Amino acid sequence: MDLVVVTGAFKGLGFAICKHLLKNGYSVVGIGRTLTSEYQELQEQYQDYLFHEVFDFNNIEDIKALSKKITSKYGVIYGLVNNAALGHDGVLATMHESQIEELIRVNVQAPIVLTKYISRSMLIRQRGRIINISSVIATTGYNGLSVYGATKSALSGFTRSLARELGRANITVNTVAPGFMDTSMTSSLKGEKLDSIRRRSPLNRMATVDDVANSVGFLLTPAADNITGSTITIDAGSTA
Amino acid sequence: MTERTNIRESITKSFHDALERTDSKLLVDNLSDDIVLLQSGLDSLGFAILVAILDEELGFDPFAMMDEPVYPVTFGEFVSIYEKISPTE
Repeated sequence: MDLVVVTGAFKGLGFAICKHLLKNGYSVVGIGRTLTSEYQELQEQYQDYLFHEVFDFNNIEDIKALSKKITSKYGVIYGLVNNAALGHDGVLATMHESQIEELIRVNVQAPIVLTKYISRSMLIRQRGRIINISSVIATTGYNGLSVYGATKSALSGFTRSLARELGRANITVNTVAPGFMDTSMTSSLKGEKLDSIRRRSPLNRMATVDDVANSVGFLLTPAADNITGSTITIDAGSTA
Repeated sequence: MTERTNIRESITKSFHDALERTDSKLLVDNLSDDIVLLQSGLDSLGFAILVAILDEELGFDPFAMMDEPVYPVTFGEFVSIYEKISPTE
């Protein structure tokens, strides 16, 4: 049974990804800051297949030890889903520098360092999948999300070069770019803004976390053997 | 057998392992200390695999433990980094 590590796993999109992977026969190590009751309930349901590590990705210097712990405790890692991210919004001119730093640290530096260490297990076995969760904001832009958008663009760039680097070791690296979804990260979007996002979609709706989880699941299957360096956009057509 | 001999042997064995995994061949007669790594036949991905194998086998990665980045040029320098930074030394 293949083991997949999912960051930001205890709620929202990460949680939906864990559920999807468990239903499809994977073992999952979920990493997150605060364990939620819904994640614990899922663990009771999948006692031998779903595990967790509590970790705050602000602690870059502890990522190496975390990776070692995961490998020695749970075994060989097949997949890594870099989903954990912060979504601070605000106009750049008034955004505090500590928040700018934190966004870059958690959304860019942390997944890069985690990938560095987790990919070692894949390199030795010449088999693995890395999926970076970006956002449509990386390419479209959005008022008040300039730093967040910069971090998501960075992750897409990381995907493309790493795909070239690791291809020869039979490791694929891809990006999944969701549009606006109904999660705690977008909970500040209300009423008219939400309606305008919906109206922009040719399907007149928003993508769901389950739609995105399905795509992540697909990229882990043998059907995606020859897909690397790509971006799959899941936004109900909003950016078409 | 001393700890140093063990490390050297592990590195030499893992070096050949990494060559095999990357479908590469040793381009020199043997892995003596003066061999320039870039001319050994192992490319950059091969070195990443070598460091990953050694991390699993020896339980440490000296390059991640260093405060400043160091890039060894010869095989002897590579071995010496592992010997110097080995937690058991």
